[in-house]
Amino acid sequence: MSTDTADREHYEAVVVGCGPGGAAAAARLAEHGVETLVLERGTEAGSKNVSGGLIYAEDSAPYTIDDLFDGFREEAAERPVTDYRIHNVAGNSVKTYDLRDLHEHDTDWCEAVLRRRMDSWLEQRVHEKTSETGGGVLTNVRVNGLLREDGEIVGVTCDELDPIGADLIVAADGVNSELARDAGLMDWEEPEEWFQGVKAVVDMDPAVIDDRFDLGEDEGAAHLFSGDLFEDVRGGGFLYTNEDSLSIGTVFHLDSLVEQQAEPHQLLDALLTHPMMARWLGDEYAEREYAAKLVPDSKKVAHPEPYQDRLVLVGDAAGQMQAQGPIIKGMNHAVTAGALAADAFAVTRGNADPEAAGRRYAKLLEDSGTMDKLRPRRYELARAVGERETVTNAVERVLDSPVGRVALGNPISNRLLERAYNSPFLVSMLPDTRTGYVTVPSIIGEQHGRTIQWETDIEPPTLEERIGELTYDTDVGNPHIELEDESFDASGAAVYACPVSAEDFGGGCYRSEEVTHNGSEETVVSLDTQPCVECGTCAIVADTTWEHPRGGKGVEYREG
Amino acid sequence: MTMDPNEHTVDELEDELESIDDEDVLQSILEAEQAGRDRKTAREAVHRRLEAVGAVDEESESEGLEGDTETEGEYEETEETVGEEAEGEEVEEVAEAEDEAGEEEEEDDELSHPTRDKRHVRALEDGDYADMWVFCETQGGELIDVSKEMLGKARRLMDEFAEEYGVSASEESGGSEDGTASGDEENVVAFLMGDDCEGLAEECIAYGADVAVYHDDDRLERFLHKPYTEISAHMARGEGSIESTEWRDYDQPRYILFPATNNGRDLSAKVQAELDSGLASDCSDLFIEENEVSNPVKTGEPGVKKTFEKVLHMKRPDFSGFEYSTILCLDNPGREFHPQGASVIPGSFEPIEPDYDRDGLVVEHEMALEDDWFRVEITEHDRLEAGIDLTGHEVIVCLGRGIAEDPTEGMELGLDLVDAFEDAELGITRGIVTSSYQFEGHVEEYSKEERQIGETGQVVAPDLYIAAGVSGAVQHKVGMDESDTIVAINTDTDARIRDFSDYFIEGDLFEVLPELTEAIESGRTELEAIADGSGEESENGGESR
Ligand SMILES: Cc1cc2nc3c(=O)[nH]c(=O)nc-3n(C[C@H](O)[C@H](O)[C@H](O)COP(=O)(O)OP(=O)(O)OC[C@H]3O[C@@H](n4cnc5c(N)ncnc54)[C@H](O)[C@@H]3O)c2cc1C
Ligand SMILES: Cc1cc2nc3c(=O)[nH]c(=O)nc-3n(C[C@H](O)[C@H](O)[C@H](O)COP(=O)(O)OP(=O)(O)OC[C@H]3O[C@@H](n4cnc5c(N)ncnc54)[C@H](O)[C@@H]3O)c2cc1C
Ligand code: SF4
Repeated sequence: MSTDTADREHYEAVVVGCGPGGAAAAARLAEHGVETLVLERGTEAGSKNVSGGLIYAEDSAPYTIDDLFDGFREEAAERPVTDYRIHNVAGNSVKTYDLRDLHEHDTDWCEAVLRRRMDSWLEQRVHEKTSETGGGVLTNVRVNGLLREDGEIVGVTCDELDPIGADLIVAADGVNSELARDAGLMDWEEPEEWFQGVKAVVDMDPAVIDDRFDLGEDEGAAHLFSGDLFEDVRGGGFLYTNEDSLSIGTVFHLDSLVEQQAEPHQLLDALLTHPMMARWLGDEYAEREYAAKLVPDSKKVAHPEPYQDRLVLVGDAAGQMQAQGPIIKGMNHAVTAGALAADAFAVTRGNADPEAAGRRYAKLLEDSGTMDKLRPRRYELARAVGERETVTNAVERVLDSPVGRVALGNPISNRLLERAYNSPFLVSMLPDTRTGYVTVPSIIGEQHGRTIQWETDIEPPTLEERIGELTYDTDVGNPHIELEDESFDASGAAVYACPVSAEDFGGGCYRSEEVTHNGSEETVVSLDTQPCVECGTCAIVADTTWEHPRGGKGVEYREG
Repeated sequence: MTMDPNEHTVDELEDELESIDDEDVLQSILEAEQAGRDRKTAREAVHRRLEAVGAVDEESESEGLEGDTETEGEYEETEETVGEEAEGEEVEEVAEAEDEAGEEEEEDDELSHPTRDKRHVRALEDGDYADMWVFCETQGGELIDVSKEMLGKARRLMDEFAEEYGVSASEESGGSEDGTASGDEENVVAFLMGDDCEGLAEECIAYGADVAVYHDDDRLERFLHKPYTEISAHMARGEGSIESTEWRDYDQPRYILFPATNNGRDLSAKVQAELDSGLASDCSDLFIEENEVSNPVKTGEPGVKKTFEKVLHMKRPDFSGFEYSTILCLDNPGREFHPQGASVIPGSFEPIEPDYDRDGLVVEHEMALEDDWFRVEITEHDRLEAGIDLTGHEVIVCLGRGIAEDPTEGMELGLDLVDAFEDAELGITRGIVTSSYQFEGHVEEYSKEERQIGETGQVVAPDLYIAAGVSGAVQHKVGMDESDTIVAINTDTDARIRDFSDYFIEGDLFEVLPELTEAIESGRTELEAIADGSGEESENGGESR
């Protein structure tokens, strides 16, 4: 650390956020001998983070997480994924495909992770590495904006510290990146650019997991779900095995959630209580944690030039979250991007042009093929026709017709279907319409499926109980979200789309209320930020001024 | 020529050079570099490329790409300056260091020290020091929380101290500070002042002090720099009448703690300057340990190591440095810095459970206060957001979102019931605080956060708690479930509050509240009577109405 001209602290590099993207950037910067300060708003890295989560090491990626962090798989991960299936659901009928081919395509290894454990382990490694070059990790610090001088970005400002200058600023602050927004590189406007993920971590004895999922030592299972489980909401579900728990969740297109006025926790419950889950969940259900977070859709928002002045964006902050059909890849790309940004800085260090590092980083993303995974060109083409509602409807009509059903229902097409699902090429082309998410899978379920006879007695906790189980450090009197427009038109969508709110639930963040205004009844929305899990949804679907809470404040995830 | 090397960093240059195979081009780049910035590393890079394309003989080994040796050297240097002495064995704090030894070290600048000429400066060499003193700040006639927290911490520290250095502990040390002959346990001494604080001094004993020294004077009701400083210093030096000082036999306190509140910060700086010692401000952790030092300013001789015993390690979050700094206040040869002083961030420590039977010595301090010290007069004062205190009432009536249908009327009905009792207050749930209910002017003030009961509001335990239209979420429950008798009024028999109510009245609060009010006013004040009176309620969740 030194002080720069304006008598403020200065580091060669400041990394904001200690998720996989920030950790990779910081570790690589330290390897290059760069003095690196990492700022993380959680009390510990991981305390704010949620993922499904399977972390992939792709054969084709320039960096994988175990390249940067020795012992990652042994120390920070839960179970490797050795069994991988998708279940298409239509009512009680389920058709299952083995997806191992798709899963193993370009995969060196893949592990299930829980983010609190993973990120806190990374934080320690990052602290060790960055301390050696004169920096370190500071937790409980929230960066609240970019520091500018003569209009140029030269550092960051924080709630807790004085402004800090840097030659390189890495915004690895995840989805709803306040820095990307401040720089004008990303906006939080369009629901169709995002998914919302909701997840429950379910307690389960390791031996029971091995038994129910038929697993041996060092084996793990991943199951994906699609079909009419979720009515007409576009999205799917997942179940991954951890060492002594299961991660079960759902990921939906945010625009679809809003359109269908769906309650995310009910969608999760629909999955949890489906009869096909009974064989895995048994009849005792102990939920450890309920969590939620937005996920950007890289196909639409991955920024082709994620930099400005000395600022570079990596990971979710840059929209680098790839939904490859049912497979979700965000963490691995965040790692790649973080490391590449560090390399770009190391090479351009000393260059008088502040954008040299950013330019080079963008080039590395392109040259390494990362950008093409994130925003496949063939998707842009497919989307042009596929996503238009008329086309969807036309296709649906065909599928609904006896001919369409026969086409999907005959034994040959069954084999073809398995092949199609296992083709990364085809899967990446699936446009994001009902057809891909709901209609096709449920027809598959109907025509090919086996009817599930199991019964489930599981009663998932209520929202009130789920909120009650979470840990909060409330910043009393200092709400981090402000409702700008309390009319139902402007902000009502948050009442159902917020994962900890619901129609007729007084204990959530957003509640609709009937008030009499000069004699006339009106429905308005009120907000209490205390139960907020900081998922980011209402930043997009409601009229709010949205920030993250101050360092260390707000929800604290123990599992993630 | 295609490329000007002077426009590139060396690393960029190496990259660019990779694609150039032509010896002539490489030579011209080399010349351009020599004519321009002429960087050694850049020249070497071109040389290596020339070797690689076979244009010159290999003479020097080519270096890896990463090695930016210049910068590395720089880091080593920082690391060294950072390392210095005081950091010692504190392995976890390697990165923090910079001003670790900082503040106190500067004390040795004897030339410019502002308090050099203080008339009270004495016992700077071979002084006797003992005890941990704690300034107990008061407000509105009560000890503020941080005072109790510091007493708790001091108690724990001095208990450990007694174990470590107690009675027979032999104290061989190179330090000059162990003049204290006693070799005995040392005390926690609370000191406070105000207009009537004998009772508070006794409370300090309950909270862990062995001795509490207080000074009463009408004029001390509020904090004033001058008299507070003078009295504190006077107390610390053991000046005053025999009676008020005979309990002690040392020159100055060994340690002293102040709260890092607005007043405490002011006072700490002034008192420590008056006592000619140092101060570690805004600390969040404290521990006592020995410390080995090699700094000649402290040891008196270069190359000699010296161990200081019983050093108060004062950790403070150091935002302008890194993470935490640990501040030490060490004596110089021939000049001692005591008391070792810190101000403590409120909330850093836990108070101990008060024990009002604890033995301790309460001492009234005597000293003439000069009129001159009171030239500052407080003409007006205002306590910001005094807020509403819901604790200590016999009855709390709490309203929840059950009033939604007509919030104003609901509030009025709640207030009517409050008025019917002798000593009652109105509380509300968070659900109301954060609602968008349109309250009419006369009841709006009751809908504010200051009346919220629960985890993030107030915690109450009245004899009678009446919850109307409250669902009983856990965060609300923790604020009221110690109440003696809990009565819930709710339309929903599945409402969670039923699990922890003594009486559950199933019904619409808009009907039940007026009935209750009437019952109370008509003199049937016994709750059982109310419950029985209506004839239908029964204990623990029985239904009625
Ligand atoms: C339900 C769900 C399932 C998912 N499943 C998968 C999966 O199976 N596989 C996969 O690869 N990906 C999955 N993802 C996506 C994945 O979690 C993200 O893509 C990934 O975490 C992005 O990493 P990151 O480092 O960019 O950001 P994050 O991991 O979000 O890290 C950002 C960090 O920055 C900190 N931060 C944010 N703002 C500030 C600030 N202002 N100041 C200081 N610190 C700040 C945060 O606390 C956090 O630690 C899933 C996501 C969800 C929600
Ligand atoms: C971190 C955190 C901290 C929190 N801290 C607090 C806190 O300190 N204090 C607090 O109170 N809350 C707190 N909450 C909020 C808490 O979870 C609940 O949301 C809140 O207490 C609910 O308020 P309520 O009971 O008024 O509303 P609701 O839960 O909506 O309950 C209203 C009740 O009224 C009943 N009802 C409806 N109409 C009638 C009628 N006409 N007559 C009788 N009954 C009727 C309903 O059946 C229902 O049971 C916190 C939440 C979080 C996440
Ligand atoms: S209030 Fe907004 S950010 Fe918080 S949990 Fe609800 S939708 Fe997510």
